[in-house]
Amino acid sequence: MILAVLFANSDGNILIERFHGVPAEERLHWRSFLVKLGSENLKGSKNEELHVASHKSVSIVYTTIGDVCLYIVGKDEYDELALAEVIFAITSAVKDVCGKPPTERLFLDKYGRICLCLDEIVWQGLLENTEKDRVRRLIRLKPPVEP
Amino acid sequence: MPRSLAGGDLAVPEMAQPYMKKDDDDEDVEYSPFFGIEKGAVLQEARAFHDPQLDVRRCSQVITKLLYLLNQGETFTKVEATEVFFAVTKLFQSSDAGLRRLVYLMIKELSPSSDEVIIVTSSLMKDMNSKTDMYRANAIRVLCRIIDGTLLTQIERYLKQAIVDKNPVVASAALVSGIHLAQANPETVKRWSNEVQEAVQSRAPLVQFHGLALLHQIRQNDRLAVSKLVSSLTRGSVRSPLAQCLLIRYTSQVMRESSMNTQNGDRPFFDFLESSLRHKAEMVVLEAARKITEMDVTSRELTPAITVLQLYLSSSKPVLRFAAVRTLNKVAMTRPLAVTNCNVDLESLMSDQNRSIATLAITTLLKTGNESSVDRLIKQITNFMSDIADEFKIVVVEAIRSLCLKFPLKYRSMLNFLSNSLREEGGFEYKKAIVDSIVTLISEIPDAKEIGLLHLCEFIEDCEFTYLSSQILHFLGNEGPRTSDPSRYIRYIYNRVILENATVRASAVSTLAKFGALVDTLKPRIFVLLQRCLFDTEDEVRDRATLYLQTLSGEVPIGNDEKDAKDFLFGSFDVPLANLEASLRTYEPSEEPFDISLVSREVRSLPLKEKAAPGKRPPAAAAAPAPVSTVDAYQKMLSSIPEFSGFGRLFKSSEPMELTEAETEYAVSVVKHIYDGYIVLQYNCANTIEEQLLEDVTVCVDASDAEEFSEICSKPLASLPYNSPGQVFVAFEKPEGVPAVGKFLNLLKFTVKEVDTTTGEADEDGVEDEYQLEDFEIVSSDYMLRVAVSNFRNAWENMDPESERVDEYGLGVRESLAEAVNAVINILGMQPCEGTEVVPKNARSHTCLLSGVFIGNVKALVRLSFGLSGPNEVAMKLAVRSDDPEVSDKIHEIVASG
Repeated sequence: MILAVLFANSDGNILIERFHGVPAEERLHWRSFLVKLGSENLKGSKNEELHVASHKSVSIVYTTIGDVCLYIVGKDEYDELALAEVIFAITSAVKDVCGKPPTERLFLDKYGRICLCLDEIVWQGLLENTEKDRVRRLIRLKPPVEP
Repeated sequence: MPRSLAGGDLAVPEMAQPYMKKDDDDEDVEYSPFFGIEKGAVLQEARAFHDPQLDVRRCSQVITKLLYLLNQGETFTKVEATEVFFAVTKLFQSSDAGLRRLVYLMIKELSPSSDEVIIVTSSLMKDMNSKTDMYRANAIRVLCRIIDGTLLTQIERYLKQAIVDKNPVVASAALVSGIHLAQANPETVKRWSNEVQEAVQSRAPLVQFHGLALLHQIRQNDRLAVSKLVSSLTRGSVRSPLAQCLLIRYTSQVMRESSMNTQNGDRPFFDFLESSLRHKAEMVVLEAARKITEMDVTSRELTPAITVLQLYLSSSKPVLRFAAVRTLNKVAMTRPLAVTNCNVDLESLMSDQNRSIATLAITTLLKTGNESSVDRLIKQITNFMSDIADEFKIVVVEAIRSLCLKFPLKYRSMLNFLSNSLREEGGFEYKKAIVDSIVTLISEIPDAKEIGLLHLCEFIEDCEFTYLSSQILHFLGNEGPRTSDPSRYIRYIYNRVILENATVRASAVSTLAKFGALVDTLKPRIFVLLQRCLFDTEDEVRDRATLYLQTLSGEVPIGNDEKDAKDFLFGSFDVPLANLEASLRTYEPSEEPFDISLVSREVRSLPLKEKAAPGKRPPAAAAAPAPVSTVDAYQKMLSSIPEFSGFGRLFKSSEPMELTEAETEYAVSVVKHIYDGYIVLQYNCANTIEEQLLEDVTVCVDASDAEEFSEICSKPLASLPYNSPGQVFVAFEKPEGVPAVGKFLNLLKFTVKEVDTTTGEADEDGVEDEYQLEDFEIVSSDYMLRVAVSNFRNAWENMDPESERVDEYGLGVRESLAEAVNAVINILGMQPCEGTEVVPKNARSHTCLLSGVFIGNVKALVRLSFGLSGPNEVAMKLAVRSDDPEVSDKIHEIVASG
């Protein structure tokens, strides 16, 4: 299960968050834990360089894309490897929507699109689509091009 | 922490701060598109959804704003949510694809209540049958999110069709919906098995992935079906790497279960796993390597997996490095030799930017390193420690401790490392881990004692944790007097009396007194120091000082000689503290003084469930009182019965053993109470029939198969009403101190009277009846108390080697080594020491240490060495030492007959 997908700006303010199977009372804890993790490790890291950590039985993969930090938390079958796949799908889709690694402003400008991409990629804690081209078409309700 | 995070409620005005462009031009201030966004205003804007002429662009913007609000943690009241939901449903009128896509998302986000769902179901059902594939896919996802079980049966037909839809997006949508629906409606989803099976064969990789996940979920409880699924797929080609990973997991699960069942170690799918090591997707390779390392494989089978993991250690991708080092770290716990080849790569990872990877590399190296590399390793770790968090540091400290126990000659550098770490900044848990490690090293490595004690002394000079100071002072009092120059520690200890808080001062006084008692040359000087403590501001400190001064100077006579006084002051209790605590709690102040000899000495093991949760184990005091107070209560209860009051001290009471099947008319269990020359059988009886009253309840015990026992008295139960349990006792005499064994047959006899359940009154006349109970035996382990020793090696060496009896036994083919170890522990009924009852996975040999007290108060220690020869053929060497050589022989007899 993918427990959380969270976008934050570089100051740690949440831009988009999606939790699956995390009780409401634990969300604040996760939010601050992830933001702290990012503030300790993401400063000065390269764009889209993946960081990875494990906390108790869950894995966390996180990165920066442009000015935005992205965190993904998973457990069981979504270990660090599967999460790397998920984060790759999300970052590619975000770059595709924004045309480049986004500034925070650009990210917010494309907010609706990004929400739709996320909806195509992760659905209630499960990875549904991975390819950015397909996601790009799906959010416009266009069928994917078959290879 | 940002303001918006601290409250958890991410209100928009706080969030929408000016956006500072971080480029060259600092003066150019941009604003977020959501600057100044307000819920009320957005809700107002949502009225645009009702316009007969929909402005698609505007509607899309409003939905985006609503999404933003929801994502910021804004909540809508019930009325607001309903209003927005109804407004959004109006947007189905528009045929604009972009807007429709947003509407789908919005409905999912709003998750309408069941009475509102009905509004959209018809629109969604229409979309689900639309000719446009994408409408179908999205409608399925939305419907599955919002519907309940009854609606599901209505749309089940469409979902089944969708699973085999030729458009992969539609199929995936239906399959993923199935995975979610299966949690609440497993029976419905099970009916889709055929369609899902077809989806698994799909050419589209993602459909295959989702199909496989759903099919496994449907069949997970049917072992044979999973096995069939795996064997068909491992032969075919799985296109998606994600699906391949799932298949590897399922395969290893099947292998694990089948090898457990057949015990012949047959691994039919191993080739598949090994071939996956050569897959082109990294994810698949790592998954296969991980699963192989988790299995019980030979070194040759393990090598290819380790080799690929080693390759990934130098990957440019952090996730791969992390996954590889995490797996190797696990392997190193059980098979350190297999990982030694990777040491060079692991060392280079110690400087990895990612601290998680670096910590894993270090702890792996600490497990696999050899003696010659220890110094270098320690040096590298020292540089690294300053920039990692406490929780990582604790992991490193624990790894250092195990390493030091492995290479005792290297204690000097490791103790230095630990003591340097003590001086660094750090929280309580971290410091405690270090102190515990130093204490362990001192106890295990005699040469490390003096150096280690001095490190601890230096630490308490500047220690902010009362608990640690007290612990160290106590330890210092035990170990310090036995060193070559005890006087060097006195300064550190007395400084505590001057400088610390009351708890630490009291501990320091006790420690001083121990030095005074054990080191004659120091005694006069200690007296001077203790006399100064008489003026302390704290009662406890003064009381302790007074007690020690009086007893050590011999003014208050205790026992016959000085040794008795020392034992009184510093000897360890021979009762478990938890038992003592429980007994003191139940002690009622009276004329009769508290008698410590009546406290049970048996260590009750924690229930297995609690043991299985490492780290979450409740403190012993919290877990132990319940059983201990039962033992105490037994002693109290039995001595209050005149017939048994002359039997002496109760040696042991067994756990209750059921003598009836569950849910029968009468429930009877027996507790065996063992005395030196007697046994008392306590039958706990319960009447579970409301219409009956039992009177004159007795248990007829046939002890003809227990020759050494003769019945001396029995205590029947006058009446046994419904739901009000009572006890029958039967007492037997047996030869004093002899562990007599035998079988007892039992028959419950009573008079039954009918009870009118409305009035609760019983008939006057009753009928005599009897009820056959199960047999039980008194066995040798009933005469053994589970009593732990804190340091087995010391205890073993302090026992007379003459009393040692050694013999070897073949235990035949057993299920596993662990099973054999447990069986022997149970036969002997002794207390496993130092965690040796746990057999490491894959171990081919194991040593288990047991201790106990045999009837007649004879201490006994057992060393069991197990070895595996051939397939699960277990051989055992049993060495026993005890206070009485006869008991050593007796223990061998117990094992031989067991």
